[in-house]
Amino acid sequence: MKLKNLLALFVALLLSLSIILALSNNTLFPSFGNVDLNDRVSGEYLDQTNIDDVGAANIVTAIVVAYRGFDTLGEVTVLFVSALGVALLLGSSAKQKRLELDFKPNFMLRVGSRALFGIILLVGLYIILHGHLTPGGGFPGGTMIASAILLLYLADDRFRAKIKGFKILEGVAGSLYVIIGLLGLLLATYFLQNFLPSGTLGDLLSAGIIPIIYILIGLKVGSEISGIIDNFLTEEESA
Amino acid sequence: MIQYAAIVLFVLGLYGLVINRNLIKMIVSLNVMEIGLNLFIISIGFVYDGVAPIITSTNTVGAVLFVDPLPQALVLTAIVIGVGTTALALAIAKGFYTRYNTYDLSKAEEDL
Amino acid sequence: MSAVLLIAIPLLAAFLSILSKKIAPYLLLAAALFNLVIMFFLPEGFVVIGGFIEPLGINLLFDTYAKIALFLVDGLILVITILNLKAYGKFATVLLLALASLNGLVLTNDLFNLFVFLEIAGIASYLISSSNRKPGHTFHYLVLGAVGSSLYLFGLIILYAMFGTLNMVDLIDKIILNGNYGNLVLPFVLMFIGLGVEAKLLPFNSWVKGVLGKSNTMSGPMIASVYAGAIAFAFGRLINNLFQFQGTLLTVVLVILFLGIVLGEAMAFAATKVRELLLFSDVAQASIIALLFVNGIVIWAVYLIIANAISKLVMFLVINKAAHDTGTDDMNDLQGLFSKNILVGITFTVVALSIIGMPLFAGFVIKLSFLSQLAQSGQIAAIAIILLASLVEGIYFVRLLVKLWYKGDKEVSVNYNLSFKVVFIIVALGLLVFGTYRAPLDKLDNSIDTVAEVINNG
Repeated sequence: MKLKNLLALFVALLLSLSIILALSNNTLFPSFGNVDLNDRVSGEYLDQTNIDDVGAANIVTAIVVAYRGFDTLGEVTVLFVSALGVALLLGSSAKQKRLELDFKPNFMLRVGSRALFGIILLVGLYIILHGHLTPGGGFPGGTMIASAILLLYLADDRFRAKIKGFKILEGVAGSLYVIIGLLGLLLATYFLQNFLPSGTLGDLLSAGIIPIIYILIGLKVGSEISGIIDNFLTEEESA
Repeated sequence: MIQYAAIVLFVLGLYGLVINRNLIKMIVSLNVMEIGLNLFIISIGFVYDGVAPIITSTNTVGAVLFVDPLPQALVLTAIVIGVGTTALALAIAKGFYTRYNTYDLSKAEEDL
Repeated sequence: MSAVLLIAIPLLAAFLSILSKKIAPYLLLAAALFNLVIMFFLPEGFVVIGGFIEPLGINLLFDTYAKIALFLVDGLILVITILNLKAYGKFATVLLLALASLNGLVLTNDLFNLFVFLEIAGIASYLISSSNRKPGHTFHYLVLGAVGSSLYLFGLIILYAMFGTLNMVDLIDKIILNGNYGNLVLPFVLMFIGLGVEAKLLPFNSWVKGVLGKSNTMSGPMIASVYAGAIAFAFGRLINNLFQFQGTLLTVVLVILFLGIVLGEAMAFAATKVRELLLFSDVAQASIIALLFVNGIVIWAVYLIIANAISKLVMFLVINKAAHDTGTDDMNDLQGLFSKNILVGITFTVVALSIIGMPLFAGFVIKLSFLSQLAQSGQIAAIAIILLASLVEGIYFVRLLVKLWYKGDKEVSVNYNLSFKVVFIIVALGLLVFGTYRAPLDKLDNSIDTVAEVINNG
C-alpha cells in the first residue's frame, strides 16, 4: 500500500478513536442499552392514550406517518427529485431502446421470471397494506414492487415497462399526498392532521389516514425506482 | 461493541472517499459511510431487554419494555435519502463516462 | 391560512408539473408569486404540523427573521425564473423543489426536519449545477454535500441521545438547564462542519471553484445568491441560538472564519478569470456573515446577507451573460465590455462600490454599523481583519472595473435584454437609496430572531 494511503488510514483510525473517546467521556451520552425512554420524547409516543389516539399498532409507523409526517413528505420529495435528476441527466426526448448487453437470457429465464413477478408483487402489496400492523410499510413495499420490475428487465432483454404510465402515477400519488395534508388543514385545523376515525387497534381498517398515505407512498416509490431502472437500462435509438 | 464498529465504519467510508479517485469506488465508499451512520443511529435506540415497538395482545404498554422507536423512524428517512443520492451519483458517473471515456476523476480534462 | 402553505403549495406544483412539460415554467412563476403575495396575510408565530404539539410533532417558526429571509429568497427565485424562462425551461420542476425546500429550511424549528430540507435543497442544487455540463465538478459537489449532511446528522443524533428531543426550542431549554459545555463540543463541531460545506466556509468549499467558475445565467445566480442567502439565514439562526460558541471551540471557529476571510480575499486578488474573482469574494463574504452571527450582531448580518445576495445576483448575471456570448471570462479578454453597454456598466460599478463599502451606498452603511458594534464588544482582531480584507477588495474590484471600462485591442460585444437591464437598475437604485437614507434600516434590531425571546419567557 502506498505511503500516502497508509498515512490517511492511520489518521482515519485516530479520528475514530478520538470520537469514541469523546463520546465515552460525555456525561450525558448514555452507554449502549442503558436508556430510560421516559427521559426522551419516545416515552410519550408509547403512552396508552397517545396510542389509542393515533390508532396504529406499529409505533414506528405512527411516528413516520403521523407524528413526523412532514419529514416523510420531505423524504418522498428527495426520492422524487433524485428520479427527476436521473431522468434529466440520462433521458432524452429521442426514441429509446434497451441497452445492448453481452449476456443474452434464454427462454427458461424469460418465462420463469414472469411467474416470480406476480409473487413478488403480491408480497410487496401485502407489506404496504399492513404497514400499520407489522414492520414494513410503504417504503420497503414500494421497493419490492420496483425489484419485481427489475427482475423482468434483467431476465428479458426486450422488455420495457410503460414509463409514461409510471410518470403519471408518480405525479398523481405525490399530489394526492400533499392534497391529503391540505385537506387536514381545511377539515381539521392543521396540515396533515388525521381527519378519519382511528378505529380499533389491530384492525386492517384502522389508524385513520395512515394506510391511505402508505399506499400512496408505496405506489410512488415503486414507480420512481422503476423509472430510475429504466433510465439506466436504455439508450438512444441510433437511427 | 456495535457503536464502536459503526463509528469505525463511518470513518473508513470517509477514508475511502479521500484516497479513491475512481468514481464508482467513491460511490461505494459513500455508501459504506452512510451504512456506518445508520447503524450508529439505530444503536442509540437500543434498550436492554426491550422488544420491538409493536402493540400486540401479549406486548401491551405496561407489560413489556420497548426499544426506542424514534431512531428507527429517522433511519428509515436516512436510508431513503442515501438511495436517492446514490442513484443521482451513478447517473452523473454514467454521464462522466460517456463524455471522458474513463471513470477516473483525475484523468478528466476539467481543471478540478 | 398557515405558514405551511409556503412549503406545501410549491411542493404540490412540483408534483403536478411533471405531468405536462409545457406548463411547468408557468407553474413555477405562479408558485413563486403565490409565496410572495401570501406572506402579507400570514400570522406570525409557531405553526404546528399534524396537530401534535411539540416536542411530539414538528412545528415551524414564522417570525420577522423568517419573513425577511423568505421575501429575499422567493423574490430572487422569481427574478431568476423570469430572466431564464426560455433558456432553462426544463429545469422548472427542479427550481420549484428548490423554492419549497429553501422555504422549509428557513421556517423549520425541528433539527431533523432541517436535515431533510437541507438534503432536498442539496440535491436540487446538484441538478442546477449539472446545467453547467461539467460532470466532474457536479460529482465533487455531490460527494462533499453528502458528507456534510451526514456529519450534520451524526452531530444531531448525539444531541438526541444526550437530551431526548429534536425540537430546537425544547433542546435549547434543556441545554441551558444542563450546563456543562464540554459535552457539547463534539456534536456542535460536527453540525458546524456539516452546514459549513453548503455555506462555503473554508476549508470545506473546494466545490465552489468548479461549480461557480463555470456557471451560466441560471446556476450562477441560484447557487451564489439564492442558496447562499437561504443557507446563511438557517445557519445564522442555529449559530445564534443553539451553538453559542464558548471557550476553546470559540477560538477554533474564529480562526476558521478569519482564515476564510483572508484566504478568500487573497485568492480573489490572484484570480484572472472574473467568475473566480466573484466566487472567492462570495466565500469571504460568507465567512464575514458567519463571524457576525457568532458575535451576536444579528440585524447587520441579515442586512449584509441581503446586500450580498442582490449584489452577487447582478454581478453573476452580467458576467455569465458575457461569458455565454463571448465564450470566455478572462479579465483580459473582456476588456472594454462596458464601453458599449454603458447602463449595465454603471449598475455593475454601483454594485461593486457597494460591496467594497464606499460611502453613498448601502454597503458602506452596513459595514460601518457592524464594525462599530464589533468595536463595542472589543473584537479588535476581527475589525483589523475585516478592514484589511476591505482594502484588498477595493484593490481588486477597482482593477476589474478599470479593465472592463477601458477598451483593449479586441472588440467585445454582448447584448443584454431589457429584462436584465430592468433588474440591474432596480438593484442599483436600492443600494443607492438605502445608502443615503438609512432610517428604515435602523428601525429593526437584533430582536427579530424571536427564538431567544421564546426561551426566556419559558
